[in-house]
Amino acid sequence: MAERVSNKSLITWFLQRISGLFLGFFLITHLNVHHLFHDISSHGIIDFESVHANLSSSAWWKVYYFLFVPLIVFHGLNGLWQIIADLRLSPGAATIIKILLWLLGIILVVTATLTLNNLF
Amino acid sequence: MSNGDKFKNIISDIGRNKNVGNFSFWAHRITGIGLSIYLLMHFYVLSSAISGAESFTARMNTVQNPFFAVLEILLIAGVLFHMLNGLRITLADFFGWSRSHKLMFTVAVILFVILMIIVIIMQLPKFLPENYGGGGQ
Repeated sequence: MAERVSNKSLITWFLQRISGLFLGFFLITHLNVHHLFHDISSHGIIDFESVHANLSSSAWWKVYYFLFVPLIVFHGLNGLWQIIADLRLSPGAATIIKILLWLLGIILVVTATLTLNNLF
Repeated sequence: MSNGDKFKNIISDIGRNKNVGNFSFWAHRITGIGLSIYLLMHFYVLSSAISGAESFTARMNTVQNPFFAVLEILLIAGVLFHMLNGLRITLADFFGWSRSHKLMFTVAVILFVILMIIVIIMQLPKFLPENYGGGGQ
């Protein structure tokens, strides 16, 4: 009995790798700017002023986070879904989890957008 | 088989395959789950900016001390492992380099160790008293 390979899972397999490659670039820059090299010397600590100064230093940071946030949310939740899919849950349970992951993804992107709006 | 039994079977199968590929498969999944949980917490901490500059600064103060600096090193270790191993998986998948996956894993581990030494050195200033808990203000 031949099993049909769904095109949808092939697309998510491909998107997981492509988003991963882009996230390599985004995470190296983000971790360097905000986690490792963040200018703690002039402010003592990371606070609103230092983050605001950093993010408003270039309009490109808006483009950067506009791409970064949806990519990392997709990659994380799609990765979790791949792990859950391997459990071969009943179709009902799988559907409920899919809906919950989609809701979580929307909540995360909206939260991040509101957050960044206040930080720029 | 119930969902619970399926889960138990997966856990009991983990230790049976001693190959590098099995280790990296599970390490990739465990770091992936950890990073997803971190992402959730990261968005939660930063979302205090929605309530204004003061609440953002107040919440950022609670996560800037030596304890969180250690957690941050673990975070970056998770990111670097997941990144290097993910690159190895992508190269094997896209370029058909699956026969070299063990060599690529060795290269990834060497790069991981070198980068982690650099990261730990870069994190050291965060352990100075003047750089946490508002001590520098």
